Amino acid sequence: MTTFPLKIVTPDGLIYDGPAEEVVVRTTSGDLGIMAGHTNCVAPLGMGRAMILTSEGRRYAACIGGMISVLHGEVSLVPTTFEWSDKIDLKRAMTAEERARKMLENKDSSKKEARLAEARLRRALVRRSVAEQAQSRPGM
Amino acid sequence: MAGVSTKEIKSRIRSMESTKQITKAMEMVAASKLRRAQMKITESRPYFEIILSTIQDIVRSTGDESLPYLLPAKTTGRVAYVVIAGDRGLAGGYNSNILKYCYQEMKGKDAAVLPIGKKAVEFFHARGTDLISDDYDEAENVSVGDCFTISKQLCRAYLRGEYDKIYLGFTRFVSVLSQQPVFLQLLPLEEAILQGENTETPKDHDILYEPDPVSVYRAMVPEYLGGILYGALCESRASEQAARRTAMDSATQNAEDMIADLSLKFNQARQAAITQEITEIVAGS
Repeated sequence: MTTFPLKIVTPDGLIYDGPAEEVVVRTTSGDLGIMAGHTNCVAPLGMGRAMILTSEGRRYAACIGGMISVLHGEVSLVPTTFEWSDKIDLKRAMTAEERARKMLENKDSSKKEARLAEARLRRALVRRSVAEQAQSRPGM
Repeated sequence: MAGVSTKEIKSRIRSMESTKQITKAMEMVAASKLRRAQMKITESRPYFEIILSTIQDIVRSTGDESLPYLLPAKTTGRVAYVVIAGDRGLAGGYNSNILKYCYQEMKGKDAAVLPIGKKAVEFFHARGTDLISDDYDEAENVSVGDCFTISKQLCRAYLRGEYDKIYLGFTRFVSVLSQQPVFLQLLPLEEAILQGENTETPKDHDILYEPDPVSVYRAMVPEYLGGILYGALCESRASEQAARRTAMDSATQNAEDMIADLSLKFNQARQAAITQEITEIVAGS
Protein backbone atom coordinates (compact mmCIF):
# COMPACT_ATOMS: atom_id res chain seq x y z
CA MET A 1 0.00 0.00 0.00
CA THR A 2 1.15 3.56 -0.62
CA THR A 3 2.60 5.15 2.43
CA PHE A 4 3.16 8.70 3.54
CA PRO A 5 5.67 10.16 6.02
CA LEU A 6 4.21 10.51 9.49
CA LYS A 7 5.64 12.36 12.44
CA ILE A 8 4.18 12.19 15.91
CA VAL A 9 5.53 14.95 18.12
CA THR A 10 4.50 15.75 21.68
CA PRO A 11 5.98 18.18 24.21
CA ASP A 12 7.77 15.14 25.64
CA GLY A 13 9.57 14.45 22.41
CA LEU A 14 9.35 12.60 19.15
CA ILE A 15 7.19 9.47 19.41
CA TYR A 16 7.18 8.22 15.86
CA ASP A 17 8.88 9.22 12.65
CA GLY A 18 8.43 6.99 9.64
CA PRO A 19 6.09 5.78 6.95
CA ALA A 20 2.44 5.04 7.64
CA GLU A 21 -0.42 3.75 5.52
CA GLU A 22 -3.34 5.20 7.34
CA VAL A 23 -4.08 7.42 10.33
CA VAL A 24 -7.41 7.88 12.03
CA VAL A 25 -7.71 10.49 14.78
CA ARG A 26 -10.52 12.08 16.72
CA THR A 27 -10.66 15.80 15.92
CA THR A 28 -12.90 18.36 17.54
CA SER A 29 -15.37 17.89 14.70
CA GLY A 30 -15.34 14.11 14.50
CA ASP A 31 -13.07 11.31 13.36
CA LEU A 32 -10.68 12.11 10.55
CA GLY A 33 -9.05 9.44 8.45
CA ILE A 34 -5.94 10.21 6.43
CA MET A 35 -4.33 8.13 3.70
CA ALA A 36 -1.59 8.94 1.23
CA GLY A 37 -2.43 11.77 -1.13
CA HIS A 38 -4.62 13.68 1.29
CA THR A 39 -5.11 17.36 0.61
CA ASN A 40 -3.41 19.98 2.80
CA CYS A 41 -5.37 20.17 5.98
CA VAL A 42 -5.16 21.29 9.60
CA ALA A 43 -7.51 20.24 12.37
CA PRO A 44 -7.42 20.56 16.16
CA LEU A 45 -7.66 17.26 18.00
CA GLY A 46 -10.27 16.30 20.54
CA MET A 47 -9.95 13.46 23.01
CA GLY A 48 -10.09 9.95 21.74
CA ARG A 49 -8.48 6.91 20.26
CA ALA A 50 -6.02 7.25 17.43
CA MET A 51 -5.27 4.44 15.02
CA ILE A 52 -1.98 4.27 13.15
CA LEU A 53 -1.61 1.67 10.41
CA THR A 54 1.93 0.90 9.38
CA SER A 55 3.48 -2.00 7.53
CA GLU A 56 3.84 -3.70 10.92
CA GLY A 57 0.13 -3.56 11.62
CA ARG A 58 -2.36 -1.45 13.46
CA ARG A 59 -1.53 0.33 16.65
CA TYR A 60 -3.87 2.24 18.86
CA ALA A 61 -3.22 5.09 21.23
CA ALA A 62 -4.94 7.52 23.52
CA CYS A 63 -4.49 10.86 21.83
CA ILE A 64 -5.58 14.07 23.51
CA GLY A 65 -5.38 17.73 22.50
CA GLY A 66 -3.09 19.41 20.01
CA MET A 67 -3.60 19.17 16.28
CA ILE A 68 -2.95 17.23 13.11
CA SER A 69 -1.65 18.81 9.95
CA VAL A 70 -1.15 17.53 6.43
CA LEU A 71 1.20 19.63 4.36
CA HIS A 72 2.49 18.54 0.97
CA GLY A 73 1.74 14.94 1.76
CA GLU A 74 3.59 15.00 5.07
CA VAL A 75 1.50 14.35 8.11
CA SER A 76 2.40 15.79 11.52
CA LEU A 77 0.41 14.64 14.47
CA VAL A 78 1.10 16.99 17.38
CA PRO A 79 -1.00 15.99 20.36
CA THR A 80 -0.43 17.21 23.91
CA THR A 81 -0.54 13.65 25.18
CA PHE A 82 -0.10 10.50 23.17
CA GLU A 83 0.16 7.08 24.75
CA TRP A 84 0.30 3.77 22.90
CA SER A 85 -2.42 1.47 24.11
CA ASP A 86 0.06 -1.11 25.43
CA LYS A 87 1.91 1.51 27.45
CA ILE A 88 -1.07 2.92 29.29
CA ASP A 89 -1.08 2.28 33.00
CA LEU A 90 -4.61 1.00 33.41
CA LYS A 91 -4.47 1.08 37.19
CA ARG A 92 -3.41 4.70 37.21
CA ALA A 93 -6.15 5.65 34.78
CA MET A 94 -8.72 3.94 36.98
CA THR A 95 -7.59 5.63 40.19
CA ALA A 96 -7.59 8.96 38.35
CA GLU A 97 -11.12 8.24 37.19
CA GLU A 98 -12.27 7.43 40.69
CA ARG A 99 -10.66 10.54 42.13
CA ALA A 100 -12.25 12.74 39.48
CA ARG A 101 -15.66 11.18 40.10
CA LYS A 102 -15.36 11.82 43.81
CA MET A 103 -14.47 15.42 43.18
CA LEU A 104 -17.47 15.84 40.91
CA GLU A 105 -19.78 14.34 43.50
CA ASN A 106 -18.45 16.64 46.16
CA LYS A 107 -20.94 19.50 46.23
CA ASP A 108 -18.52 21.83 48.00
CA SER A 109 -16.05 22.01 45.16
CA SER A 110 -16.06 25.26 43.26
CA LYS A 111 -16.98 25.68 39.62
CA LYS A 112 -13.35 25.74 38.65
CA GLU A 113 -12.57 22.56 40.53
CA ALA A 114 -15.57 20.85 38.99
CA ARG A 115 -14.42 21.81 35.52
CA LEU A 116 -10.92 20.52 36.22
CA ALA A 117 -12.34 17.29 37.59
CA GLU A 118 -14.53 16.86 34.55
CA ALA A 119 -11.59 17.29 32.21
CA ARG A 120 -9.60 14.79 34.27
CA LEU A 121 -12.44 12.33 34.20
CA ARG A 122 -12.70 12.55 30.45
CA ARG A 123 -9.00 12.01 29.98
CA ALA A 124 -9.09 9.03 32.33
CA LEU A 125 -12.04 7.54 30.48
CA VAL A 126 -10.29 7.84 27.12
CA ARG A 127 -7.19 6.16 28.53
CA ARG A 128 -9.18 3.41 30.13
CA SER A 129 -11.23 2.58 27.08
CA VAL A 130 -8.18 2.52 24.82
CA ALA A 131 -6.25 0.31 27.24
CA GLU A 132 -9.15 -2.04 27.82
CA GLN A 133 -9.79 -2.49 24.14
CA ALA A 134 -6.15 -3.34 23.63
CA GLN A 135 -6.27 -5.93 26.42
CA SER A 136 -9.49 -7.61 25.38
CA ARG A 137 -8.52 -7.87 21.74
CA PRO A 138 -4.78 -8.28 21.53
CA GLY A 139 -3.36 -7.51 18.15
CA MET A 140 -6.00 -4.93 17.55
CA MET B 1 51.36 29.40 70.07
CA ALA B 2 49.08 26.76 71.48
CA GLY B 3 46.27 29.31 71.60
CA VAL B 4 43.92 27.03 69.73
CA SER B 5 44.00 23.48 70.90
CA THR B 6 44.78 20.84 68.34
CA LYS B 7 41.65 19.01 69.34
CA GLU B 8 39.45 21.97 68.46
CA ILE B 9 41.06 22.36 65.07
CA LYS B 10 40.70 18.68 64.40
CA SER B 11 36.98 18.73 65.06
CA ARG B 12 36.56 21.75 62.81
CA ILE B 13 38.40 19.96 60.03
CA ARG B 14 36.15 16.97 60.46
CA SER B 15 32.97 19.06 60.26
CA MET B 16 34.37 20.82 57.21
CA GLU B 17 34.99 17.45 55.58
CA SER B 18 31.41 16.36 56.03
CA THR B 19 30.09 19.66 54.68
CA LYS B 20 32.31 19.18 51.68
CA GLN B 21 30.90 15.73 51.13
CA ILE B 22 27.37 17.08 51.13
CA THR B 23 28.09 19.91 48.71
CA LYS B 24 30.00 17.55 46.48
CA ALA B 25 27.07 15.13 46.40
CA MET B 26 24.61 17.94 45.69
CA GLU B 27 26.79 19.13 42.86
CA MET B 28 26.80 15.72 41.26
CA VAL B 29 23.05 15.29 41.64
CA ALA B 30 22.50 18.72 40.09
CA ALA B 31 24.82 17.85 37.23
CA SER B 32 22.88 14.72 36.34
CA LYS B 33 19.52 16.48 36.71
CA LEU B 34 20.86 19.28 34.53
CA ARG B 35 21.64 16.86 31.74
CA ARG B 36 18.12 15.48 31.87
CA ALA B 37 16.60 18.97 31.96
CA GLN B 38 18.66 20.02 28.95
CA MET B 39 17.39 17.00 27.06
CA LYS B 40 13.81 17.97 27.89
CA ILE B 41 14.35 21.43 26.42
CA THR B 42 15.43 20.04 23.09
CA GLU B 43 12.64 17.47 23.10
CA SER B 44 9.88 19.98 23.71
CA ARG B 45 11.04 22.41 21.05
CA PRO B 46 9.74 20.76 17.84
CA TYR B 47 6.21 20.51 19.22
CA PHE B 48 6.14 24.16 19.97
CA GLU B 49 7.61 25.13 16.60
CA ILE B 50 4.99 23.20 14.63
CA ILE B 51 2.14 24.81 16.57
CA LEU B 52 3.65 28.27 16.16
CA SER B 53 4.05 27.88 12.42
CA THR B 54 0.43 26.76 12.16
CA ILE B 55 -0.75 29.86 13.97
CA GLN B 56 1.45 32.00 11.76
CA ASP B 57 -0.03 30.37 8.69
CA ILE B 58 -3.55 31.06 9.83
CA VAL B 59 -2.91 34.67 10.75
CA ARG B 60 -1.17 35.24 7.44
CA SER B 61 -3.72 33.47 5.30
CA THR B 62 -6.78 35.01 6.87
CA GLY B 63 -5.18 38.43 7.17
CA ASP B 64 -7.88 39.16 9.65
CA GLU B 65 -7.06 41.59 12.40
CA SER B 66 -10.20 40.94 14.34
CA LEU B 67 -8.95 37.53 15.47
CA PRO B 68 -9.11 37.11 19.22
CA TYR B 69 -5.94 37.27 21.35
CA LEU B 70 -4.44 39.98 19.14
CA LEU B 71 -5.73 43.05 20.93
CA PRO B 72 -6.55 43.50 24.59
CA ALA B 73 -10.25 42.91 25.09
CA LYS B 74 -10.82 45.80 27.47
CA THR B 75 -8.53 48.17 29.23
CA THR B 76 -8.78 47.36 32.86
CA GLY B 77 -5.14 48.05 33.54
CA ARG B 78 -4.84 44.69 35.24
CA VAL B 79 -1.85 42.58 34.34
CA ALA B 80 -1.27 38.90 35.06
CA TYR B 81 2.16 37.39 35.61
CA VAL B 82 3.17 33.78 35.58
CA VAL B 83 6.39 33.44 37.54
CA ILE B 84 8.47 30.28 37.54
CA ALA B 85 10.98 29.69 40.32
CA GLY B 86 12.33 26.67 42.16
CA ASP B 87 11.20 24.58 45.09
CA ARG B 88 14.39 24.51 47.08
CA GLY B 89 17.18 26.86 48.00
CA LEU B 90 20.92 26.31 47.81
CA ALA B 91 20.93 27.24 44.17
CA GLY B 92 23.00 30.38 44.31
CA GLY B 93 21.04 33.42 43.23
CA TYR B 94 18.57 31.48 41.11
CA ASN B 95 15.42 32.03 43.14
CA SER B 96 16.12 35.54 44.39
CA ASN B 97 17.19 36.75 40.93
CA ILE B 98 14.00 35.79 39.18
CA LEU B 99 11.71 36.77 42.05
CA LYS B 100 13.27 40.18 42.60
CA TYR B 101 13.31 40.80 38.87
CA CYS B 102 9.60 40.09 38.60
CA TYR B 103 8.73 42.00 41.74
CA GLN B 104 10.53 45.07 40.43
CA GLU B 105 8.58 44.85 37.20
CA MET B 106 5.25 44.52 38.95
CA LYS B 107 5.72 47.47 41.27
CA GLY B 108 3.01 50.07 40.90
CA LYS B 109 0.94 47.90 38.62
CA ASP B 110 -2.38 46.30 39.27
CA ALA B 111 -0.91 42.85 39.10
CA ALA B 112 -2.01 39.31 39.80
CA VAL B 113 0.50 36.51 39.99
CA LEU B 114 0.40 32.84 39.24
CA PRO B 115 3.51 31.53 40.96
CA ILE B 116 5.01 28.18 40.03
CA GLY B 117 7.43 26.62 42.49
CA LYS B 118 7.44 26.68 46.27
CA LYS B 119 9.84 29.60 46.56
CA ALA B 120 7.71 31.73 44.25
CA VAL B 121 4.50 30.93 46.14
CA GLU B 122 6.14 31.79 49.46
CA PHE B 123 7.69 34.98 48.10
CA PHE B 124 4.46 36.43 46.76
CA HIS B 125 2.46 35.21 49.74
CA ALA B 126 4.75 37.08 52.07
CA ARG B 127 4.37 40.27 50.06
CA GLY B 128 0.61 40.06 49.88
CA THR B 129 0.46 40.04 46.10
CA ASP B 130 -2.79 38.93 44.52
CA LEU B 131 -2.43 35.25 43.70
CA ILE B 132 -4.42 33.67 40.88
CA SER B 133 -3.76 30.24 42.29
CA ASP B 134 -1.27 28.68 44.64
CA ASP B 135 -1.81 25.12 43.48
CA TYR B 136 1.50 24.90 41.69
CA ASP B 137 3.86 24.95 44.62
CA GLU B 138 5.96 22.10 43.32
CA ALA B 139 7.77 23.12 40.15
CA GLU B 140 9.37 19.70 40.06
CA ASN B 141 6.00 18.00 39.67
CA VAL B 142 4.25 20.37 37.29
CA SER B 143 3.43 18.26 34.25
CA VAL B 144 2.68 19.00 30.63
CA GLY B 145 -1.00 18.61 31.48
CA ASP B 146 -0.74 21.24 34.21
CA CYS B 147 0.85 23.67 31.76
CA PHE B 148 -2.08 23.27 29.40
CA THR B 149 -4.57 23.63 32.25
CA ILE B 150 -2.87 26.88 33.25
CA SER B 151 -2.79 28.22 29.71
CA LYS B 152 -6.46 27.41 29.12
CA GLN B 153 -7.38 29.07 32.37
CA LEU B 154 -5.40 32.19 31.44
CA CYS B 155 -6.84 32.31 27.93
CA ARG B 156 -10.37 32.14 29.27
CA ALA B 157 -9.69 34.90 31.77
CA TYR B 158 -8.10 36.98 29.04
CA LEU B 159 -11.06 36.58 26.71
CA ARG B 160 -13.40 37.55 29.54
CA GLY B 161 -11.38 40.75 29.76
CA GLU B 162 -10.01 40.17 33.24
CA TYR B 163 -6.49 41.02 32.21
CA ASP B 164 -5.04 43.43 29.69
CA LYS B 165 -1.81 41.59 29.34
CA ILE B 166 -0.32 38.35 30.49
CA TYR B 167 3.40 37.99 31.06
CA LEU B 168 5.61 35.07 31.80
CA GLY B 169 8.69 35.46 33.97
CA PHE B 170 11.24 32.67 33.93
CA THR B 171 14.96 32.05 33.89
CA ARG B 172 16.46 31.61 30.47
CA PHE B 173 19.10 28.96 30.21
CA VAL B 174 21.86 30.73 28.32
CA SER B 175 24.60 28.30 29.18
CA VAL B 176 25.70 26.12 32.05
CA LEU B 177 27.47 29.11 33.54
CA SER B 178 24.94 31.80 32.78
CA GLN B 179 21.23 32.03 33.40
CA GLN B 180 19.16 35.11 32.92
CA PRO B 181 15.76 36.09 34.28
CA VAL B 182 13.53 37.28 31.45
CA PHE B 183 10.01 38.41 30.69
CA LEU B 184 7.90 37.20 27.83
CA GLN B 185 4.58 38.61 26.75
CA LEU B 186 2.11 35.78 26.37
CA LEU B 187 -1.04 37.70 25.53
CA PRO B 188 -1.94 39.61 23.46
CA LEU B 189 0.11 37.76 20.89
CA GLU B 190 2.95 39.87 19.63
CA GLU B 191 2.90 40.99 16.04
CA ALA B 192 6.54 40.16 15.49
CA ILE B 193 6.09 36.56 16.57
CA LEU B 194 3.02 36.11 14.43
CA GLN B 195 4.69 37.45 11.34
CA GLY B 196 7.55 35.04 11.71
CA GLU B 197 10.80 35.36 9.83
CA ASN B 198 9.75 34.13 6.43
CA THR B 199 7.13 36.71 5.59
CA GLU B 200 7.27 35.74 1.95
CA THR B 201 5.53 32.41 2.40
CA PRO B 202 3.05 32.50 -0.43
CA LYS B 203 -0.61 32.12 0.30
CA ASP B 204 -1.00 29.81 -2.63
CA HIS B 205 -0.75 26.52 -0.79
CA ASP B 206 -4.37 26.17 0.09
CA ILE B 207 -4.90 24.49 3.39
CA LEU B 208 -8.18 23.01 4.41
CA TYR B 209 -8.94 24.07 7.96
CA GLU B 210 -11.31 21.78 9.72
CA PRO B 211 -13.91 23.09 10.67
CA ASP B 212 -12.70 26.64 9.76
CA PRO B 213 -9.57 28.78 10.21
CA VAL B 214 -10.89 30.85 13.10
CA SER B 215 -11.93 27.79 15.11
CA VAL B 216 -8.57 26.18 14.51
CA TYR B 217 -6.87 29.40 15.56
CA ARG B 218 -8.99 29.63 18.70
CA ALA B 219 -8.09 26.07 19.59
CA MET B 220 -4.41 26.45 18.77
CA VAL B 221 -3.62 29.59 20.79
CA PRO B 222 -4.05 27.92 24.21
CA GLU B 223 -2.00 24.98 22.93
CA TYR B 224 0.70 27.35 21.79
CA LEU B 225 0.81 29.14 25.14
CA GLY B 226 0.82 25.82 26.95
CA GLY B 227 3.80 24.87 24.81
CA ILE B 228 5.61 28.11 25.68
CA LEU B 229 4.84 27.58 29.33
CA TYR B 230 6.17 24.05 29.28
CA GLY B 231 9.27 25.14 27.40
CA ALA B 232 9.86 27.92 29.92
CA LEU B 233 9.38 25.48 32.76
CA CYS B 234 11.97 23.15 31.26
CA GLU B 235 14.40 26.03 30.81
CA SER B 236 13.84 27.20 34.36
CA ARG B 237 14.47 23.73 35.70
CA ALA B 238 17.67 23.48 33.72
CA SER B 239 18.71 26.93 34.96
CA GLU B 240 18.00 25.94 38.54
CA GLN B 241 20.13 22.85 38.29
CA ALA B 242 22.92 24.75 36.56
CA ALA B 243 22.83 27.46 39.22
CA ARG B 244 22.88 24.85 41.96
CA ARG B 245 25.74 23.04 40.34
CA THR B 246 27.81 26.20 40.12
CA ALA B 247 26.96 27.21 43.69
CA MET B 248 27.80 23.78 45.05
CA ASP B 249 30.98 23.66 43.04
CA SER B 250 32.22 26.88 44.63
CA ALA B 251 31.03 25.69 48.04
CA THR B 252 33.11 22.54 47.63
CA GLN B 253 36.05 24.69 46.56
CA ASN B 254 35.67 26.89 49.61
CA ALA B 255 35.48 23.88 51.88
CA GLU B 256 38.69 22.55 50.38
CA ASP B 257 40.42 25.89 50.92
CA MET B 258 39.29 26.02 54.52
CA ILE B 259 40.40 22.47 55.14
CA ALA B 260 43.85 23.27 53.72
CA ASP B 261 44.02 26.36 55.91
CA LEU B 262 42.96 24.48 59.02
CA SER B 263 45.35 21.61 58.33
CA LEU B 264 48.20 24.09 58.19
CA LYS B 265 47.11 25.60 61.49
CA PHE B 266 46.72 22.15 62.99
CA ASN B 267 50.24 21.16 61.99
CA GLN B 268 51.65 24.40 63.30
CA ALA B 269 49.90 23.94 66.62
CA ARG B 270 51.13 20.35 66.87
CA GLN B 271 54.66 21.42 66.03
CA ALA B 272 54.51 24.18 68.62
CA ALA B 273 53.32 21.76 71.27
CA ILE B 274 56.17 19.34 70.52
CA THR B 275 58.75 22.12 70.53
CA GLN B 276 57.47 23.36 73.84
CA GLU B 277 57.63 19.90 75.34
CA ILE B 278 61.23 19.45 74.19
CA THR B 279 62.13 22.87 75.56
CA GLU B 280 60.64 21.93 78.90
CA ILE B 281 62.54 18.63 79.00
CA VAL B 282 65.82 20.30 78.03
CA ALA B 283 65.32 23.06 80.58
CA GLY B 284 64.52 20.52 83.27
CA SER B 285 67.59 18.31 82.75
